[in-house]
Amino acid sequence: MALALLLGAEAAGIEIVRRRPHLVVRIDGREHEVVERDEADGRTRIELDGRPLALACAADGNTRFLRLGGRNLRVSLVDPRDAAAAGEGGGDEIRAPMPGSVVTLHKAEGEAVLRGETILTIESMKLQTALVSPRDGVVELLLRGEGQTFDKDEVVVRLASPSAPGPSEPAPPEPATAEASPAADAKGAA
Amino acid sequence: MRRLRSAISTASAEFQRHYAHNRRLAEELRERQERARHARPQRDLDRLERQGKMLPRQRVERLLDPGTPFLEFSSLAANMAYDGESPGASCITGIGIVSGREVVIHADDSSVKGGAWYPLTIKKIVRCLDIAIENRLPVVHLCDSAGGFLQLQSEVFPDRYMGGRIFRNQCILSKLGVKQLALVFGHCTAGGAYIPGLSDYNVIVQGTGAVFLGGPPLVKAATGEEVTVEELGGAAMHTSVSGTCDYPAGSEEEAIAIGREIVAQWDRPRKWDCQREEPEEPYYDPDELYGVLPDDIKKQFEMREIIARLVDGSRFHEYQPNYGTTLVCGFANLWGWKVGILANNGVLFNDSSLKGAHFMELCNQNNTPLVFLQNITGFMVGRAYERAGITKDGAKMIMAQTCSRVPKFTVMCNGSFGAGNYGMCGRAFDGRLLFTWPNHQIGVMGGDQAANTLAEVKLKQMQRNGEAVDQAVIERLRDETRAAYLEQLSAWYSTSEIWDDGIIDPVDTRNALGMAITASLNAPLGESGYGIFRF
Repeated sequence: MALALLLGAEAAGIEIVRRRPHLVVRIDGREHEVVERDEADGRTRIELDGRPLALACAADGNTRFLRLGGRNLRVSLVDPRDAAAAGEGGGDEIRAPMPGSVVTLHKAEGEAVLRGETILTIESMKLQTALVSPRDGVVELLLRGEGQTFDKDEVVVRLASPSAPGPSEPAPPEPATAEASPAADAKGAA
Repeated sequence: MRRLRSAISTASAEFQRHYAHNRRLAEELRERQERARHARPQRDLDRLERQGKMLPRQRVERLLDPGTPFLEFSSLAANMAYDGESPGASCITGIGIVSGREVVIHADDSSVKGGAWYPLTIKKIVRCLDIAIENRLPVVHLCDSAGGFLQLQSEVFPDRYMGGRIFRNQCILSKLGVKQLALVFGHCTAGGAYIPGLSDYNVIVQGTGAVFLGGPPLVKAATGEEVTVEELGGAAMHTSVSGTCDYPAGSEEEAIAIGREIVAQWDRPRKWDCQREEPEEPYYDPDELYGVLPDDIKKQFEMREIIARLVDGSRFHEYQPNYGTTLVCGFANLWGWKVGILANNGVLFNDSSLKGAHFMELCNQNNTPLVFLQNITGFMVGRAYERAGITKDGAKMIMAQTCSRVPKFTVMCNGSFGAGNYGMCGRAFDGRLLFTWPNHQIGVMGGDQAANTLAEVKLKQMQRNGEAVDQAVIERLRDETRAAYLEQLSAWYSTSEIWDDGIIDPVDTRNALGMAITASLNAPLGESGYGIFRF
């Protein structure tokens, strides 16, 4: 079984070849045998390919903090769902989550936006919703003005595609201060 | 289960503004509760002292196991009724721990008009007994009431859910094998006499406690017989002659001690085996709820940010994350208990309604209690949606919700308007407990909509009658309607009328739900099955 790990910030793959009588793992095509010994003093010691090393380990969720042979290591299991989420940069279009009308435009065409920044506020069914930018970028087109109406799933804002030269400097990457909205960012806090 | 990732910046100006607004509401809640619980006219306090009686809250405190929580119901009931003359609707109800057992407590508040029952007092007592029935919780009654508030007798006596319902519920509880204990601290007259009479066990305090169908003045008027309270229905007579009462007590303290020992004899109800993990505090601080909630009922907010501040470890397994996105559905643990959460992230569309119905079926099959987090302005309206069958899809959601066999809990997190309230287990749908947040508003429509609709009607009327259109009149009507609506839409009004089981500080929600879910598991799961789903 191959496992994807993060060793610090580095990606690493490790394959478990055998568990008995001793653990054998394969890393970068080479096999290593690991023998674990609990010492009388309560410490743990392993032998890695015959080489003795002291080991201490603390767990926090999917992350392990190790002290191994005098070195501190942080190892975490890569969750494939995190990897999938990281690949989503957010599209160029913002669609209306429900039919309604524009209450306020917070940005003008050509203006830079940060991920999570509100571009416009809409109202539908007594409810005001902030439509936020799915990524850092530049507002290319605002397809509805204040007071104008739209249908569900209509595109109301288009962002300049990242390759296209924008009229202003691209915004610096900063942590998003999001008013998350259900449609513009269906992932929300998840 | 993975942790939700919050996108809220607690440093942002908006968060701070929301935080200040909702924190203020929570403060107002505390102040109102403090008044309802403790502010009493001096003469009433003097009277109780003269009679050698404890205050009702002192009795409740003595009864509960020291250091255990008390989940009080409807602490602000009647806060906008009877010119404020019946704080807390003149009674205390809630779930507490007595001798290690979860019980429902009903305590008359003799510090208000002798503990007389107002219409809302009866509604509150009946509701706490309904809670006892639905959750199979034993009841301890702390009796000290002058009886029905005679000036309002038409509202306390004749109808289905009025006075008689208290005694009906007592009988049903007994038939279900759910135990009841009454501690008689004051007079139990007329109907009130049946509370100890219908309890499995009762204790009566010598000197102040009395039980009779008609008190001495009524007896004299009816038959001319002259008799003292003690002879007619005192502790000595009832515990040694009539057998109506079981244990005499020399003082209130002694009565409570005897009561606690009686409860300690009861067999412990066996809870059904709801799935449970090791409980974990939320990763995100519930205090941040104040900043997540908006400062305007119209402003949409992200419900996952609420979920992240209620559930164990802020962990949430979301079901169908990309379908029907205006209804967030998923699994979480709360106080360790597995729950299925349905939370509004916008108007209910066809797909969100179907997803909700489907998710509830999954939870019913999986024995997973349901938690509804309401912020709903309704099902979507308009031609396209009617043609797509929004009504029948909404009907499916309401059907699945109503017929659910697992316990249901509702939190009114913000707005609750129109039929969305039904799909999301509003008050009419027999949720085990329903809590309200101070920012909550509820109504068939919003205040602005009602004001504009009525102003429009008035304008048409003026034009039809050939009157000169007086804009000032129209505006006044609009403002008055909005003001009247706003008052009735408010959480204070809602809780005053007992449309909920209490208004709570958002930060207390996790514990309130935790206690509620734990208590609910005493009752067996309901019958499986639904009515007809219209496809």
